[in-house]
Amino acid sequence: MAAVRRWVNLPLVLTVSLLLIYGIVIVHSAVSGFSSGDSMVRRQIIGIMLGLVPLAVLWVMDYKKLQDWLGPLVLLNAFLIISPLIPGLGATSKGATAWLQIGSVRLFQPSEPAKILTIVVLAIVISQYKGVIERPRDVLRVLAFLGLPFGLILLQPDLGTGLVFIFIAMGMLLVGGLKPRYFLVLAIVGVIAVGVVFKAGVLADYQENRLLVFIQPERDPKGAGYNLSQSKIAIGSGGLTGKGLGQGTQSNLNFLPERHTDFIFSVLGEELGFVGVVLLLGLYLALLMTALEISTSSGDLFGSLIAVGMISMWTFQILQNVGMTMGLMPITGIPLPFISYGSSFMLANLAGTGMLLSVWARRTGV
Amino acid sequence: MATFREQLKSRYAALGAVFIGVLTVLLIRAWSMQVLSGDEFAAAAEGNRIRQIALDAPRGRILDRNGQPLVSNRATLGVMVAPAAKSDTDMLYRLSVVLDMPLEDVVKRVESTREAALEPRLVAYDVPMSVVAFLAEHESEFPGVEVSVVPVREYPNGMLGAHVLGYTGEISEEGLKSPDMEGYELGDIVGKSGAERQFESVLQGEKGYRRIEVDAVGTPRAVIEEAEPLAGRDVVLTLDIETQRVAEAALERALADARAHDFKDARAGAAVALDVKTGEILAMASAPTFDPTLFIGGISAKDWDVLNAKDSEYPLNNRAIQASYPPASTFKAVTGIAGLETGVTSSAHSYYCAGRWTEMGDEWAKYCWSRRGHGNITFSRGVAQSCDVVFYEIGYSFYKRGREELQEYSRRFGLGSKLGVDLPGEVSGRVPDAAWKAEFNADYPEYRQWLPGDTVNMAIGQGDLLLTPLQVAATYAGIANDGEIMRPHVLREVLDQKGEPVREYEPEVAFSTDVSASSLSTMHSALLDVTKHGTGTSAFRGFGVDVAGKTGTAQVAGKDDYAWFVAYAPADDPQYAVAVVLEQGGHGGAIAAPAAREILAQLLGLPVEHVQATDDSR
Repeated sequence: MAAVRRWVNLPLVLTVSLLLIYGIVIVHSAVSGFSSGDSMVRRQIIGIMLGLVPLAVLWVMDYKKLQDWLGPLVLLNAFLIISPLIPGLGATSKGATAWLQIGSVRLFQPSEPAKILTIVVLAIVISQYKGVIERPRDVLRVLAFLGLPFGLILLQPDLGTGLVFIFIAMGMLLVGGLKPRYFLVLAIVGVIAVGVVFKAGVLADYQENRLLVFIQPERDPKGAGYNLSQSKIAIGSGGLTGKGLGQGTQSNLNFLPERHTDFIFSVLGEELGFVGVVLLLGLYLALLMTALEISTSSGDLFGSLIAVGMISMWTFQILQNVGMTMGLMPITGIPLPFISYGSSFMLANLAGTGMLLSVWARRTGV
Repeated sequence: MATFREQLKSRYAALGAVFIGVLTVLLIRAWSMQVLSGDEFAAAAEGNRIRQIALDAPRGRILDRNGQPLVSNRATLGVMVAPAAKSDTDMLYRLSVVLDMPLEDVVKRVESTREAALEPRLVAYDVPMSVVAFLAEHESEFPGVEVSVVPVREYPNGMLGAHVLGYTGEISEEGLKSPDMEGYELGDIVGKSGAERQFESVLQGEKGYRRIEVDAVGTPRAVIEEAEPLAGRDVVLTLDIETQRVAEAALERALADARAHDFKDARAGAAVALDVKTGEILAMASAPTFDPTLFIGGISAKDWDVLNAKDSEYPLNNRAIQASYPPASTFKAVTGIAGLETGVTSSAHSYYCAGRWTEMGDEWAKYCWSRRGHGNITFSRGVAQSCDVVFYEIGYSFYKRGREELQEYSRRFGLGSKLGVDLPGEVSGRVPDAAWKAEFNADYPEYRQWLPGDTVNMAIGQGDLLLTPLQVAATYAGIANDGEIMRPHVLREVLDQKGEPVREYEPEVAFSTDVSASSLSTMHSALLDVTKHGTGTSAFRGFGVDVAGKTGTAQVAGKDDYAWFVAYAPADDPQYAVAVVLEQGGHGGAIAAPAAREILAQLLGLPVEHVQATDDSR
């Protein structure tokens, strides 16, 4: 029993398991109207199984060893992000060349494992300053390690994932000891950067349109705004207890776009109502609290920062995904952790879970 | 190191605050949307998935008194165009060529408000199979065009009875505002004239609806709820299809006869046949007539212009109730009864007709239609011979008595007011009196005075007196029915969906004349004499049944004379009254009387023969 306690963080395993089951249930309901619905559910389960492999490997492996591999990890990360852009390997979907494809077989989206790699790389770099990042030189160095994957992801272009990188870095810098004044400077630089991005036309038309629609939904009731308003109708019409699993009209009658992936939360809200939403957000709260506990339990800053990176990533993705379905955030292609259909993101989340378990297993005081 | 751990604590607190804050914001947002505004979003979701389609109720049929259909419904192939194709001018042009229709008519119908916003509009019906096949083969060239089965009004007897039956069309925006059109929607097909309009509320059934579930692209998935439309009720009219046929044919033939006899402008007229005991209208014809099928699916601009052109004689007008004419000598029955009742004259009262009458002074000399004069003549012979001098005398007596008694008796027969027939658009005609003249000529002081000549002219049915053909027929029906004028009507009964009568018309007295039996009897004898020895003799020679009637030949400024004949029969037990008028048709006895004879023959079961009459009396 003691051995289990040493290796296994039960709350984390339990929370993640419940989220995965919840996700399969909702995905099953969302895809039941598709002709290939059953095989999609099977693929989702297989995706989870596959994700258990990196989870187990990272869990068993001593995460501290990763610190010796900064150079190769940075290169691997950069390669992953640009790999879809290599002729013959990439596939374009919804304006972004984000898929790795060989022949006609779509393998996965390299940007998903890149999120985990970015967390590891930043954790290595930030932890080197032992909790105090004061000198501008140091700040710039950290930003350079962030800037590489961020700049490369904008080439796809995938602004959503880029924002995830930034949010991850912010969380890790907060805990990693960046002086508060730098946050102010970074915020100002960020605002200016956004302005430049808009003016310079770096964004694809669809991205710019989505952002403008977010600010002014009546701009485009049947286009991008249509998705948002249908999503809000779905969630709102769920009421307190929902229409029942498989009974969502917005979902079954195809009013909801991307209902098994980006808008899976809308299906959940419609079919299970506010009760279902409370359950999901409760599980997320448990997940984040557990990760926080793991972070504080770690004996070294590197382990703590890895957990903080996961917390930041999940927090932002939850905010972004759930917020967009309810009109609080602009529409981007960010999936919902552990719930949305799709193997790449599932794989990344489970790999991250494996690292958390690894950090927990090597905590101090055991 | 301790300080770092201290700092770390507050940094973790900040991180925790961030994600707890994020989750809280999301929770509050979900609460607000799902719990506070859940009903509104639920309504929006229902609005998304549910479409309601109106199911038009089949319109009730219109039947003749024996149950023969006069108007029914049939299914036909129609070409429908989706409203979205409205701006596809090239396609609409190609369609107009295929359908052999003017482009403007196609465009007008596509823009029609008849159907609800998204429903396709009927552009053409009774489309030949070759066109249907062509459209099917070239489907891709005609986006938004479809062929489907549509119900339309059917007229099994063609144009027969068109004026009484009326036509249907799309409800107008003004029509929609009228209180008796409550519950109607823009685009509904309603009766626009005649019985279709009069009995709209029974003919129009109750619309059904179908609530269907649709997906995001509008494909129906399931029927949620359905209410069958309730068909409109059938209306049984008093018209007799055979009598109507004879009446219309007689009218047309009489006009042709007139044109063949130097009355080249004889193109319009009316005929009406009444049951004197009930007021039932057995036939009502108006010439020229129109084709009610032109209105199916919306009348074309060209056809509408033709029907309303100045030289068309306005075929949409039902002249039997919507036109008023000087009744001429047919009015002498009213003048005569007024004279008998007031003691101004009597059956044997003797007059002298020199052909020229100068009682009002030489400068106001008036003439009898017979310039040779009738010599010594009694009142009764005066009726039979339609002697104008006799009636000038009576009229002048009324003028001198100064009590407007002629007007009073006219009004007792319902003249100058509507009979209340159950058809739209009836006019009241005009019974002129001193007050009317003063007001009518308010701007011309020199013409305001009521003069002796006004009463004298009115006595022979001229001057400012105007009556509708139905009023003339009803007047004689009243004489035949002991002075009681039954309200003329076309409704016999309304049938429910099973064919059982749910409403029957109860005959009612429209006007009680309160004329003494002796006066009526005197007039009856005189009118009987008209067809035996008087001005209507040649038209009724060998008829077989005694007929009481009166010829009339009205003078209208700038036009040929209008020919009248009005009669009732059988004289010993009157059943039917018939009135015929032919605009610019010439002499009543020669032109109108033979037409009346044909109609009466049909009503009485006698052989319908066309006779050539030669009377050139008035």
